[in-house]
Amino acid sequence: MAERFQTAHVDDLERVPSFQGVTWLPIRRRFGIQAFGANAFAGDAGKLVIEEHDESGTGGSGAQEELYVVVTGRATFTIAGDAIDAPAGTLVFVRDPEAKRKALAAENGTVILALGGTRGEAYEPSAWEWIAPAIERQDAGDYEGAAAVVREGLARLPDHPSLLYNLACFEARSGEGEAAIEHLLRGLEIDPKMRAWAAKDEDFDSLRGDPRFESAVAGEPEPGRTGA
Amino acid sequence: MDRPYEVATIDDLDKVPVLQGALTWRPVRRRFGIEAFGVNVFSAERAGELVIEDHYEREGPEELYVVLRGRAAFTLGDGEEVDAPAGTLVFVRPGTHRVATAREPGTAVLGVGAKPGEPFEPSGWEWGAIAFAHLNRGDEEEGRRVIEDGVARDPDSWAAQYNLACFEARTGHPEEALEALGRAVEGDPESVRRFATGDEDFASIRDDSRFRELIGG
Repeated sequence: MAERFQTAHVDDLERVPSFQGVTWLPIRRRFGIQAFGANAFAGDAGKLVIEEHDESGTGGSGAQEELYVVVTGRATFTIAGDAIDAPAGTLVFVRDPEAKRKALAAENGTVILALGGTRGEAYEPSAWEWIAPAIERQDAGDYEGAAAVVREGLARLPDHPSLLYNLACFEARSGEGEAAIEHLLRGLEIDPKMRAWAAKDEDFDSLRGDPRFESAVAGEPEPGRTGA
Repeated sequence: MDRPYEVATIDDLDKVPVLQGALTWRPVRRRFGIEAFGVNVFSAERAGELVIEDHYEREGPEELYVVLRGRAAFTLGDGEEVDAPAGTLVFVRPGTHRVATAREPGTAVLGVGAKPGEPFEPSGWEWGAIAFAHLNRGDEEEGRRVIEDGVARDPDSWAAQYNLACFEARTGHPEEALEALGRAVEGDPESVRRFATGDEDFASIRDDSRFRELIGG
C-alpha cells in the first residue's frame, strides 16, 4: 500500500540531466503523484534551468497550463519574447501552451518548481519523464537500459508515439531490428509526422534497406498488405 | 484575448482571512485563472499561526505542500511531527490527516492539489472563503455576488449550496437559508450533517424545527 505521506527537501532530490543540459529534480515520480505534474529544476548562475519549449507538441503532454515557482535563488524567464526578473518567491503562470518559455539562473543554487496540467482533462504524465532518463542512458552507451526505461513509460502511456519512436531508436541501436521495426511502424501509424524524423535519424541506419522501414517512412502501405 | 502569461510574487497576492482569521489564504489559482489544478499559498506573520488547516481531504485530492519561506511544523497521519524548513516538500494522499503551523515569522506554504483520473474542478471552498471575507468586512453585496457566482458555477455542488445556506442565515434570510440547506442535504447528507451540527453560521436558525429535521438532530 502506498504511504499516506512522504516528505523530502529539494536539496535531497535526485538530479537527472535532461534536455538542453538542464538539471531535472523529479518530484512527481518520487512521490508517485498521479493528479498533476510536479517537478523542480536547478542551476547555477548563467545556466539554463527551464529548457526552451512550448506545451503544444507531441513530445510533451500537450496543451498544459504551467505554473513556475522560484523556490531559491533568482531566475530570468523569457516568455513569448518578454524578459522577466524572478527572485525567490515569484510565481509565473504560462496560460498559453503555444508561448515559448525558458529560464536562466541569475544566482547560484537557483531552484524552480514547475507544476502542470491540462484544463478539462484528467492528468497524464508527460512522456519526457521517461524519455529524458532514457536519453541519459543512451548517451552512456546503454541502449538496453534506455529501452527498458521507455518500456516503463509505455506501460503507463500505452501507444504514446514519442515513446514508441524512442523505443524503436534504442532497439535499432542494440540490434533488436524486428522489435524496432514493429514499434517504429506503430508510432508512425499514430503520428505520421514522425516519418520525416525517421527518414533522417541515424539511429535507424541498421534498418535502412528493409522494405518495411522504407515503406513506413515513405508513408506507403506495409509490403504484403493489400490495404483492403 | 487573455495574456499568454502572468507574474506575481508571494507578497503581491491577496490576503484573505479564513477560519475566523486563524488562517491567511493567498489565492493563486483564482488570481491567475488556473483551471488544470488547484494551487494556493498560505502564510503566517507570526510563529505559531496556522499555515495548513487541520483537515483530511477525504473527497480525493492528492496534495503537495512546498514550504517557500520560513519554517513550518507539520503533523501528519497518526500524529507524526515533521520539521519543514524552506524547500521542504510534503506529499499527502487523500484521507490522511494533516495540519501545519509556522515556526518562524513570514512562513509561506504553497499547496497544490487535484484528484487522480479526473479533470480538475475548483473547490467550492474558494467561493465561500472569499464571500465570507467580504461579509466579515461588512460588504454583504460583494459577498453575495461571490457566493451566487459559486452556486451558478456548480449548482449541483452540495458545498456551494451549504455556503449559500450559511450566507443566507448570517444575513437574516432564514427561509432562503433553509431552502439552500435542503438542497445541500440532497447532495451529501452525511457531510452536511457533520459540518452543520456545530456551525455557528446557523445560530439564527438552529432552533427552527425544520433545521433540526434537515440535519437529523
